[in-house]
Amino acid sequence: MSEESADDGGYATRATIEVIGLRKRFGSQVALDGMTFAVRPGRVTGFVGPNGAGKSTTMRVILGLDAAEEGEALVGGVPYRGLRRPLRHLGALLDASALQPGRTARNHLLWLARSQGLPAGRVDEVVELAGLGPAARRKAGGFSLGMRQRLGIAAALLGDPPVVMLDEPFNGLDPDGIVWMRGVLATLARQGRAVLVSSHLMGELEGTADHLVVIGRGRVVADTGVAELLAAASGGRVVLRTSASAQAARVLRDAGAAVVATGPDTLGVTGLPDERIVALLARDGVPFSQVSAHRATLEEAYMELTRDAVEYRGVPAGEVTR
Amino acid sequence: MSLLNSARTAGRTDGAGRGGFVMALRAEWTKLRTAGGAGWLCLLAVALTVGVGCGTARAVRCPDAGCGQDAVRLAMTGVTVGQAVVAVLAVLVVSGEYGTGMIRTTLTAVPNRLAVLGAKATVVTTVVLASGTVAVLASLLAARHILPGNGFTEAHGYAPLSLADGPTLRAAVGSVLYLGLIAGLGLGVATAVREAGTAIGIVLGLLYLFPVVGQVVNDPEWQDQLQRIAPMTAGLAVQATVDLPGMPIGPWEGLGVLAAWTTAALLVGGLLLRRRDA
Repeated sequence: MSEESADDGGYATRATIEVIGLRKRFGSQVALDGMTFAVRPGRVTGFVGPNGAGKSTTMRVILGLDAAEEGEALVGGVPYRGLRRPLRHLGALLDASALQPGRTARNHLLWLARSQGLPAGRVDEVVELAGLGPAARRKAGGFSLGMRQRLGIAAALLGDPPVVMLDEPFNGLDPDGIVWMRGVLATLARQGRAVLVSSHLMGELEGTADHLVVIGRGRVVADTGVAELLAAASGGRVVLRTSASAQAARVLRDAGAAVVATGPDTLGVTGLPDERIVALLARDGVPFSQVSAHRATLEEAYMELTRDAVEYRGVPAGEVTR
Repeated sequence: MSLLNSARTAGRTDGAGRGGFVMALRAEWTKLRTAGGAGWLCLLAVALTVGVGCGTARAVRCPDAGCGQDAVRLAMTGVTVGQAVVAVLAVLVVSGEYGTGMIRTTLTAVPNRLAVLGAKATVVTTVVLASGTVAVLASLLAARHILPGNGFTEAHGYAPLSLADGPTLRAAVGSVLYLGLIAGLGLGVATAVREAGTAIGIVLGLLYLFPVVGQVVNDPEWQDQLQRIAPMTAGLAVQATVDLPGMPIGPWEGLGVLAAWTTAALLVGGLLLRRRDA
């Protein structure tokens, strides 16, 4: 759409964020402790961690708003502050409420467009794209949080950037808004952009993120695909429901599985795939009503990972609010 | 950001030079134009300046040839009040963004922070210079009609106010520049302290408190000294057209003192803006 993205025929070469060994302290508090990860094109990378883990600080360092004491952050291989028209390289939504209430949404987008040398026509395009419609002529101060998030998305997409970075975009959205935001994220990734989305609630990213960077206490705890993470957390456990639990346990142990009773007539079996379990039970005529692979939720996998990294002990991670 | 870092940043940039500043300028102009408040503040500044000027011109009389009044200065007395509105306008251009958090959006769009400050300074100063020109010309015009009725006549040694008169022209141009410098002062202080209330307090304190302190001090030498360094009393020396040798400071030197205050405020503001996390 813009000249700058047209000349390399796509987003791929510039659609990256590289965060390399960032360190930063606020007073005696360590905010970033060797933060290192990369965001790749064509997928949604979830940036997850408890509050205070350093998500927002990392994003501010990427944008050149905060300075790191050590390390660097590169957008398409260049430090953000070296970009001449930065919104054409990275579109960010940090705080949807950070706008002057007396200005209309359209005029807010207009000054941003002017700052990048973009024509006013581009403002109308992103107004449509974000579904702001006639509300764009109203003062942004009267917007609901959902409308502000839409305005923030419009601003982030103004420069048609290969990289999009959103801080807690699901916060305060109603169910319709959440569905809409998920659609936006998926579309952006499908177009080949690199998308980084932070959240302190793993559940929000279930079905949205393809890749996860899980952080705690200013460093990366896990940098992994969502599918791998779920498989690891599920641990290959199979749930078996049977009225003959003693007999079933004996048969399966003989075949080398580890078996634990998880209820009056349910067993947890590890060490054998579900197909083999069914075959063994059928061979010995053991009755059973259900054999299913246990599937961990993203939330469970996340709790497992961050158990040691939660900043404020005694407070369940999900209940801590900003 | 460390020196090393900024040097490398500069090396990799795709030319964040003049073109970048023009874009920053257009962005700031769009902001000022669309926020609503700026236009009203400019109108208020003009109205107060002219209104107070007219009031003063009406109130002061010159009964005989030896009254020793400075008619030009009287005509432009309103600047001492209008400047407060100008200062508030300039402070809000920066502090209004800190109050809402929009400054982060601004610095994300234009990462060169000195370009942001430069663009804001250019835009707000231009608007203030334009409003100041209107205010000063209107004040002079009004006084030209009012003053002769109060004894400021040729018989008492007062020619009608005219910009063809050298000192009057200097006082008028100087007054407009004075308002522009006040805008710069407000902008610099606001950039340094960020919070609107604090910034307005500091600027108005600098302007109005110095003269008050000057009146409390008894020692005339100290009084003169204070008038020479206080931004308002020194800066408004540019309006003087009578008894110049008796002034604590000359007209242009006085405006120079205010310019030094403004430069210092913008330098401190710019340095802090560059160094601090946003």
